[in-house]
Amino acid sequence: MSVIRLPLPSIVSDDVDDWGRDAGVVKRLGWFAGLRWSVHVGGTEHLPRRGALIVVNTRRLALAPVLAALAIGARTERPVRFVGRTDVAPLGPAMQRLGALLAIPHEVAGALRAGELVVLGAAHRLDNASCGPIDHDLVGAAVAARVPLIPAATISTPTSRSARVELGVPLRAGRRRRGPLAEVELADLARQRIDAMLDELGGTLTGTPLDWFAR
Amino acid sequence: MGSELGCRVASLLEDEPWVGSLAGIDVDPPRYRLRRARFHRIAPGDHDRTVEVVTGFNPHVVVHVSVWEPYSRASPRRAAEFTDAAAMSILGAAAECRALESIVVRSGIEVYGRARGTVTRPDEQVPTNPTSGFGRALERIEATATSIGERVGVSVGSLRLAPVLGPHVPSPLGRLLRMPAVPFSVLANPPFAVVHQADAATALVAAARARLDRPVNVVGPGAITITQATRRGRRVPVPLVGPEWAAVRQFAYVTGTPVPDHVQELLHRGRLADGGRAAELLGFTPRTSTREVIDLLYRWPSVIHVPASQPAPGWEAISA
Repeated sequence: MSVIRLPLPSIVSDDVDDWGRDAGVVKRLGWFAGLRWSVHVGGTEHLPRRGALIVVNTRRLALAPVLAALAIGARTERPVRFVGRTDVAPLGPAMQRLGALLAIPHEVAGALRAGELVVLGAAHRLDNASCGPIDHDLVGAAVAARVPLIPAATISTPTSRSARVELGVPLRAGRRRRGPLAEVELADLARQRIDAMLDELGGTLTGTPLDWFAR
Repeated sequence: MGSELGCRVASLLEDEPWVGSLAGIDVDPPRYRLRRARFHRIAPGDHDRTVEVVTGFNPHVVVHVSVWEPYSRASPRRAAEFTDAAAMSILGAAAECRALESIVVRSGIEVYGRARGTVTRPDEQVPTNPTSGFGRALERIEATATSIGERVGVSVGSLRLAPVLGPHVPSPLGRLLRMPAVPFSVLANPPFAVVHQADAATALVAAARARLDRPVNVVGPGAITITQATRRGRRVPVPLVGPEWAAVRQFAYVTGTPVPDHVQELLHRGRLADGGRAAELLGFTPRTSTREVIDLLYRWPSVIHVPASQPAPGWEAISA
């Protein structure tokens, strides 16, 4: 059998990890993301060496989980995944290259058990003023994997490059629960903590003069 | 025992100190010289002869490796028939043995299926939902073994292997990847994982030693996409979108590289699995990564020319 031998193009990455994330693609996208956002990341000292579920608030069309995953990954030099990819080509496989996971508890739990950092976005809000409801089924993945849940506040606006991702202290459930109330209460606690962090940050909300008026 | 994997498992079991005597059944004779094992040549559906040999031997542990992958050695229909017949006759005969303590069966990560919305990297807790003929055949083997285990009260372990690649292993995926031009889905190009035949054999022996009593995934570390594999092998990747797949499959069939439905599923949807529990349950993790297996795949020569003046290399040397 004759075989055509091709030269190895150096610009193309030659590596995907166990979940299909391509570090080369993420690095290149990070460079392009730097043109759009200038992200300040704080609180990375709260991240454990093993896996953790990072819950962030999301503003509509802000791509907050992607922004947070890229920024935290660049800061910590660890692969950071985010929840919420579609399972339809070509968008699904493209997002998989960036580290996206399907929003299925088994999928998230598998990544957390393997020691991965996973970013989960709360339900969308129109601005950065508050955090939307958090899917407690996906929080349950962190409970099942016995990894900490870390609340994080994200602030970005459509009109400026400045963005901020602030990681909080890992949460612990107030009461020991044997049933599904454990994740429901933990999700509620995470939402309250993110709301408090957004109040403390007091950053821009919409990027317009409307922010000058008191809420 | 006549297949590459079965013969290697038998060879490794011969070296195990806990193995007293060893017997094997297959339709083809062993490929290597086995020192202690006794081989019985029996066709897959010959229940009477299988029962006679198995009950006469009265084993403590049965390792069932008799799985025909579609288009590896038989057409999909024949492969399913052989696989079902072998599972029923060998496991059914084992159930008649008083000394039986444990059954280990070879399964595959194809049992998880790749329907839309299924977990990308399933672990053993994810329910099986096969979406290919091979996956369904493997699920039937697991169901048969589990049912027998429950009826006679013995432990049943299933080794869900990633696609097994190795020299002399008849694999439709390996055959496709070694073609000069390899088709891939340009819209998806999903990642997949494989396992080296030596790691698969070692895992089966470890499962028999540990008396495995549950399913476990055995997957080579890492993952790779078709384009990355073709680049490593210096092949020409042929991008396909959708409608032309049928024509390409027909062309591949005519040229001697048939693409069964589970391989086409891999090309479109990928095939990964979480093999993290193998270390805990088997005390073993695959040593050869997926990328290394693919590199070896392209390094394996089609024909090994050995001058008449030199002794023939052992199977360990040519299987590295």
